Amino acid sequence: MSASTLNTTSNLWKQVRKTVANWTTVRRIMSVLLFLLAWTILVQFTGQFHQIPTPAAVFAALFQLKLGVIFTEIFRSFVRVLCGFLLGLLIGFPIGVAIGYSRIANYLLFPAVEMVRPIPPIAWIPLTVLFFINIESQIVFLTFYGAFFPIVYNTMGGISEVDIRLPRAAMSFGINRMGMLWKIILPAAMPQIFTGMKVAIGITWLMVVAAEMIASKGGLGYWVWYHHTVMEYPMVILGMGIIGLCGALCSVGIDVIGSHFMKWRNIF
Amino acid sequence: MKNQINTIPEKINESDFVFERPSFLSKIFNLKMVLNTASVLSLFVIWGLLVNFGIYRFVLIPGPAEVLEWGIKWMGSKDFWMDASLSTLRVLGGFTFACLIAIPTGLMIGWNKIFSDLTFPTLEILRPIPGIAYIPIAILFFPWEEASVAFICFVGAFFPILLNTITGVKLIDRDYFRAAQCLGSKPRHIFWHIVVPGALPSISTGAALGMGIAWMASVAGEMISGKWGLGYRIWEAYTLIRYPLIVDGMIVIGLLGLGSSTLIRFITLRLIPWRKAITESLDESITK
Repeated sequence: MSASTLNTTSNLWKQVRKTVANWTTVRRIMSVLLFLLAWTILVQFTGQFHQIPTPAAVFAALFQLKLGVIFTEIFRSFVRVLCGFLLGLLIGFPIGVAIGYSRIANYLLFPAVEMVRPIPPIAWIPLTVLFFINIESQIVFLTFYGAFFPIVYNTMGGISEVDIRLPRAAMSFGINRMGMLWKIILPAAMPQIFTGMKVAIGITWLMVVAAEMIASKGGLGYWVWYHHTVMEYPMVILGMGIIGLCGALCSVGIDVIGSHFMKWRNIF
Repeated sequence: MKNQINTIPEKINESDFVFERPSFLSKIFNLKMVLNTASVLSLFVIWGLLVNFGIYRFVLIPGPAEVLEWGIKWMGSKDFWMDASLSTLRVLGGFTFACLIAIPTGLMIGWNKIFSDLTFPTLEILRPIPGIAYIPIAILFFPWEEASVAFICFVGAFFPILLNTITGVKLIDRDYFRAAQCLGSKPRHIFWHIVVPGALPSISTGAALGMGIAWMASVAGEMISGKWGLGYRIWEAYTLIRYPLIVDGMIVIGLLGLGSSTLIRFITLRLIPWRKAITESLDESITK
């Protein structure tokens, strides 16, 4: 009895050794530690970097955060990002499907989309400020514009790269046009559509930060800019970290939703 | 039946083998060209009509004719060439630095497990922070404004190039490494003859993508901290109520961004003629 439990515990230990407590993990932790060390040394001992706060100062600033304030800012930015992203998905996804699936729609829509695409979303800021009165709708429009093109292009590309044997097989079983779209084309294009969404949410966060820095109506971007103007630099770095964390959270969220939609990926 | 299969036509007409070439007119006036021109034209017509009839707040937006007029005036002045060349130089500076650092790091991360463990987690933590969020730090750190804009371009271009380089190395077929090792290659031979050429198609994609993001970052950087440049010109046009100039600036930025990405694709296709088809499909799948 005792021998068997010993055996299982040692097995468990072996498992742990194999997956968690090995050299790879040590090196990974060392990577982050080395980065922090290099940061501290550069700031402390070189003249060029002296204005940038040390990691210790940033860590100390973490305890000065007013939780209520920071959570309202995070909430505001999140709402703007999600509104813009969902609008982009609602408008961009059907357009992408139309361009990818129908030849006529491709001829009609694609050149117009291709002409507007190279203009970076940030260059739209002045016109947006001119056009929309409400500041919220300005920011949401900019995030929408950032999300729109990645979604359209990846949906289109995903559909045009579906293995031609799948639609042919479905056709020989006598599928109609709608069934072909919903049962064959869209599931096959799903991985790339989700890649597009991940790119889109990255650009959406970028846009929200830029728009908030200029609009100065709350949000994380404004928070960072405000602390820059009052020279509380540790807070600026903390704000950058929080923005990065939110962006990473959104991209992980899209991965989770994607794996729910593409369960067949786990099987093959 | 047997006869039918084995029959040889007594006389072969030459015309059976000559395909009729599409005439010049049918090349131009086919469905595709007509619809494509209709698409582009309708974009301008809708814009013009919306502005002309002042629907909702479109009264404030400049129309196509105004934009053209101001554009020609702007092109003639010295300001335009100054703005365009300075913006291009900043983007190119940031982009070159990003390439110089990201490509070797990406190759090493993809190739060497220990190096990957030591650097990749840190980069993965820094990656989700958007380039724009670095603006305050860049202003703080660089006393020189050119450098701070170039730094923001650098941050924007760095991660797409790095990630695509890593994927490029990871996608190389393992058999190449094994074959090289069987034939007695040293690590440096493997690096130069397998890792580098194998990752080139992906690097090309990443570079084109990074170029686009560098242009976007440069506009933001110039809007907030700058004296010259296209982004600054757009913002100045907004504050001085020269609205048509905003649209002109947007068009010039778009054209320059498109031109530089196309140039990168063209150059890298010269470097990797053997994988033309693959790069093109990768391009479509990864770029926005």
